Amino acid sequence: MAYLSVWTLTERVISIVFWGIVKLIFWPPIYQFVIIPGLAAAMVVVISIIWFERKAAARVQMRYGPWEVSPRLAGYLQLFADLIRYSFQEIIIPRTVDLMPFLTSPLFALLLSILPLAVIPVSPVKWTWPLTPSAMRYSVLIAAALTTLSPIFIVAMGWASNNRFATIGSMRETFLITAYELSAVIGLFSVVATVHSFDFTKVVAFQGGGKWLGLINPLALLATFIATLISTSAFPFEISDAENEIVAGPFTEYSGLMYGINMGSAYIKRWAMSILIALAFLGGWRPYIPPPNAGYVTGYLIPSLIVTAKAVIVMALMSFLRAVYGRYRIDQALHVSWKYVFALAIAGFGLAILEGYIL
Amino acid sequence: MQAGEVPKINMSSWEVGESRYLPGMEIKRLGKERFVVYIGPQHPGSGHMRIIIKVDGDVIVEADPDLGYVHRTMEKLSEGRAFIKIIPLVERMAILDACNVTLPYVEAVEKLLGLEPPERAKYLRVALCEINRIASHLYGFGIFGVFLGHSTMYMWGFGDREVLVELAEKLTGARLTHTYPIFGGVRRDAPQNFTDNLRKAIRYLRKRLDEYRKIFLDNPVIRRRLEGVGIVPKKVAVDLGLVGPNLRASGVEYDVRAIEPYEAYDELDFEIPVFEEGDSLARAWVRVEEIKQSLRILEQIADKLDKTKGQQIMHDRFWAKAPPLYKKVFEAEGRVKLMPLFAILRVPKGRSFARTEAARGEITYYVESDGKDKPYRVRIVSPSFRNAIMFKYVIPGHRIADLPAIYGSFDYFPPEADR
Repeated sequence: MAYLSVWTLTERVISIVFWGIVKLIFWPPIYQFVIIPGLAAAMVVVISIIWFERKAAARVQMRYGPWEVSPRLAGYLQLFADLIRYSFQEIIIPRTVDLMPFLTSPLFALLLSILPLAVIPVSPVKWTWPLTPSAMRYSVLIAAALTTLSPIFIVAMGWASNNRFATIGSMRETFLITAYELSAVIGLFSVVATVHSFDFTKVVAFQGGGKWLGLINPLALLATFIATLISTSAFPFEISDAENEIVAGPFTEYSGLMYGINMGSAYIKRWAMSILIALAFLGGWRPYIPPPNAGYVTGYLIPSLIVTAKAVIVMALMSFLRAVYGRYRIDQALHVSWKYVFALAIAGFGLAILEGYIL
Repeated sequence: MQAGEVPKINMSSWEVGESRYLPGMEIKRLGKERFVVYIGPQHPGSGHMRIIIKVDGDVIVEADPDLGYVHRTMEKLSEGRAFIKIIPLVERMAILDACNVTLPYVEAVEKLLGLEPPERAKYLRVALCEINRIASHLYGFGIFGVFLGHSTMYMWGFGDREVLVELAEKLTGARLTHTYPIFGGVRRDAPQNFTDNLRKAIRYLRKRLDEYRKIFLDNPVIRRRLEGVGIVPKKVAVDLGLVGPNLRASGVEYDVRAIEPYEAYDELDFEIPVFEEGDSLARAWVRVEEIKQSLRILEQIADKLDKTKGQQIMHDRFWAKAPPLYKKVFEAEGRVKLMPLFAILRVPKGRSFARTEAARGEITYYVESDGKDKPYRVRIVSPSFRNAIMFKYVIPGHRIADLPAIYGSFDYFPPEADR
């Protein structure tokens, strides 16, 4: 080889850069935390779900809903317009707040609500797992533990705001945490009892051939679903930020982008929980089995999109309830969650143990 | 200053009796773990008023309604205006209930003038009164719905109210501030196809009321929020002097339309719905039943309007003095142009009193004239003002989340209370 052609060199550089970018994109921590099903997908899904929520409610309520911003897309761009408006709005920080927790807790709440997505598998192919195979054995446990972290920061927000409505709101949130967390975790762990493994990949593998855990154990699915509704303050459990009672609850003093983050983090938590539900109860990527030696697309992109699609359906169902129900009072919600949802979760767990013994 | 420290203010010069402070400016030390929360006046669940509540945990131990944020000195302004100009002023109290709140004023002045409106004018007045009543109840339901987080009820209430607002527009020419009843009659005759539209609207609303029941009143979440909340026993309701649907929900059969019929109500066949429970749910149901009765009244009014077609809508005493052009306009367009003599109308010396049943309860007017073109005194007692007292007695003992459920069920309307 006398000399290296300039063109060949360029080609090589381009190919190295291109494949480097592809590798970076499909590097599991980046791909799952930032792209699908992480931040980027969550953003698109949340915006679409809010749009769907508003459109569906509008249909029930004899009106158009979002329309004016982009009539051809049925007002879809309205949400992006809102997002831009939120990002450029002035952030007013009252003098009486506890500055450090006031500023940081929204960010922590947002990050922690999306963190479970960084430890779950969205494909059976080994190299796509964000954790090492030995840590993957406990992925259900780790994901469930991570979902329980974000509410603490909502309580911190209310306390740091130094506002009475915010204090009452975070007090309500505290009561609700104790009420839903146990049901949600027990509901999720019922799949562990059936499958005899804390490994999400084994949980999904178990659900092959249409044997979805949500179908054979609907009690646990229902308990997890309702607990998720309570935890993300969806109707009829929109209690800790009930507008007509306590303005915006823990978020009363927040404005501009900070308020947008707070509103978004509830939806993003709902999204993370929907992904967990899709994996644990609705078969995950299951109708699809990647071929051996699967590449980026067949081994990672397609299964993650299947999981995403299932989670979107779960989330749309959660959002539709807005048009039908009012909101419960705090004591009634606690009554519902301790007396019925918790009992449902325990019954689901018992059923799961029984099924784990039989199947 | 440290938290919880009582500020030392030298107020010795203000000492009145026991209290060291001006009334309303007392500084009190609260009990441990108690909280004062100001609900309003800029609060999504308060309207133009403030309720100062003291909470022990989540339970309200004391509630203090603070009115007057939208006081517009209507009584005082009335003393400087010609009699006819007071009608558009006082209807700003409750623009969605405009006919009901101005009618007693018109009646009181008519009593002083000693005249009685013609038959058709009475039917037209009753028609607009009932249209307003339904619209006002639907508005109340909308607000009630959004207080409980039920956005569908909010949109439905406001959407269906549009039917009635448009009906009122066809009848009077204005969507809200109609200024329809004037001394001696009404301002306009009903248009050609008014009764057909009215019957169509009645059919539509009957259908819708059933859907309201399904989505709102029989909704399990809403029922749990309302049942047994904000109970006003019969005796308390009477002692506090509640009026209107709130009183009837506590088992007292009291409706000015029935006990002292005005206009054409004595010719009409309707019932007074009464509920015994006295809770928020009963107050919601009473309004639904009242809408049904109002539809019944409107049906009869539609027949009567068809029967009296083409008859006079203005009292002879004014009509006789009207220029020929006005009579031509009336024959062509069914519209009584406001005659110049109203602007210089002198009302004979005397005092009079009139009351009607507005959508939120009994409204009373006392009008005193000293023989000039302006009244000497106009005194208004509005139903919301009479209902406001119950906030103090009904809310304590409930949770903060019950506050909107109670507030909304009383259909309290601050502009009407503050006048």
